[in-house]
Amino acid sequence: MTGDTTAAALHAAEERLHTAARDGVACPPVRELIGETDQDAAYTVQSLGLARRLADGRRIVGRKIGLTSAAVQAQFGVFTPDYGVLLDDMVFADREPIDLGRFLQPRVEAEVAFVLGRDLDSPTTHVAEVLAATEFVLPAIEVVDSRIAGWDIRITDTIADNASSGAIVLGTTPRRIDGLDLAELGMRLDHEGEPVSTGSGAACLGSPVIAVAWLARQVARHGRPLRAGEIVLSGALGPMVAASAGVFHARLDGLGEVRADFTTTALEGAAA
Amino acid sequence: MTAAAAFAAALDRAQRTASPISRLDAGEVIGLGTAYAAQHALVARRVARGEHITGVKLGFTSRAKAAQMGVDDVIIGTITDAMRVADGGDFDPRGAIHPRVEPEVAYLLGTDLDGSPDAELDPATVIAAVAPALEVIDSRYRDFRFSLDDVVADNASAAAYAIGPWRSPAGAGPLDNRAVRLELGGRLAQTGSTAAILGDPVRALAAARRLAREHGFALRAGTVLLAGAATAAVPLPDHGLVEATIAGLGRVSFRVERSAPARGAAGARPAARGAAERHPERQEDA
Repeated sequence: MTGDTTAAALHAAEERLHTAARDGVACPPVRELIGETDQDAAYTVQSLGLARRLADGRRIVGRKIGLTSAAVQAQFGVFTPDYGVLLDDMVFADREPIDLGRFLQPRVEAEVAFVLGRDLDSPTTHVAEVLAATEFVLPAIEVVDSRIAGWDIRITDTIADNASSGAIVLGTTPRRIDGLDLAELGMRLDHEGEPVSTGSGAACLGSPVIAVAWLARQVARHGRPLRAGEIVLSGALGPMVAASAGVFHARLDGLGEVRADFTTTALEGAAA
Repeated sequence: MTAAAAFAAALDRAQRTASPISRLDAGEVIGLGTAYAAQHALVARRVARGEHITGVKLGFTSRAKAAQMGVDDVIIGTITDAMRVADGGDFDPRGAIHPRVEPEVAYLLGTDLDGSPDAELDPATVIAAVAPALEVIDSRYRDFRFSLDDVVADNASAAAYAIGPWRSPAGAGPLDNRAVRLELGGRLAQTGSTAAILGDPVRALAAARRLAREHGFALRAGTVLLAGAATAAVPLPDHGLVEATIAGLGRVSFRVERSAPARGAAGARPAARGAAERHPERQEDA
């Protein structure tokens, strides 16, 4: 159900975002086309973009949850998180060089990544089922990016733009969730040795596991349930900060660490 | 009366009557030297009324907070026994203007901290104990707006503090990335990490030593160092439980309660001054 938004407007919004990503040139907000409040319309635009990328040969490897902090929800005037899809070409590992040229206006945030050992396909999934289905967790850095110029976004802009996803960087030492108190997890994200963002697990809806349960219910209702093997990026543990060249080092107390190594070496080539 | 003494008198009156004043340096820049002289004069007035100095506090130890307030260096202020709220005790908000509360890390000094800023500083020797703390800050300036000099003169907005159970630094372990929660009435108000305090709260020792030397403070064994806030400060509610938890370190709380003895009269209260500071193994105010 997409309210009064016409199919033509939905396709135009998807086309605008696709063109921006393809050409590396940020575009005006798509709320001009689909309005500021119709989240169903925005998720339809997201699905159109996903269909295009799957047709191009991409593969779904997981999901991301956004807007999990009370402060960010207040800023957007919403009371729930949002979500997007992670594709195979977005995934990097600890210390792997990442060319900044692949992004338009990247920002980074530290998160807990869940990797599922079994499906979570019920629209009534609760936290205990999430804990039982989690194969392991990893420290992660999410690179968020917006195809909308200047990050001038409202809720519909970010949802349509695949929840402003960019890339994810995963730690390489899995931890069992048993005995971990994810709410009591300190987070520091350092750049050049100094913290640029600090926070804790409780910043993500009270606990990252609560965010994952919310996501499982939403996507099960909307026809693309969480499957075994999927990665779920559960949401930021502290404020996002602008990405720049160099190493961003996230440490999640009790869970481990992960580094995003941003390079600019390929920029000249990418500019062609 | 010197300028510093006049500033101190105005700030003292503002605090005692819970009436905000205008910024001191609105017209001309005071300078950091005069600002610290005003703070020392302000604290001297409190000591003359019978208060005892229990330690120091640092302010603007978080990069985000410094940016929010438009200041660019760490500052130091003085805490006294009249500002002390027992862990689990009551705090009367009527003596405050627009109080805010923030979760902190507190260190108990095991030795005097007065060496040269370049001298080696061994935290294992200097720190007798460490604890979670809550600090109530309350600018005496209207709308909580001030320059760096203003806030220095205003004793770094110090108003009240509570300290949880002391632990040995070895037992507490490294504190450079512990989850911190501030809860009001049982609901989460702020979350963060101790990393927000200078990147690692233990760096407060070196910062305090430098500031003490530059600005004439004594950091004595048995006194407290409030290392700085781990999250943004939030407005203190009118009533109810305020609690801070630092993962693996402990928790501290007080209750905002109007029936409590007014804070302005607290100087007369026979607070258990220094007892816990001298005997960190004793759980104070249990």
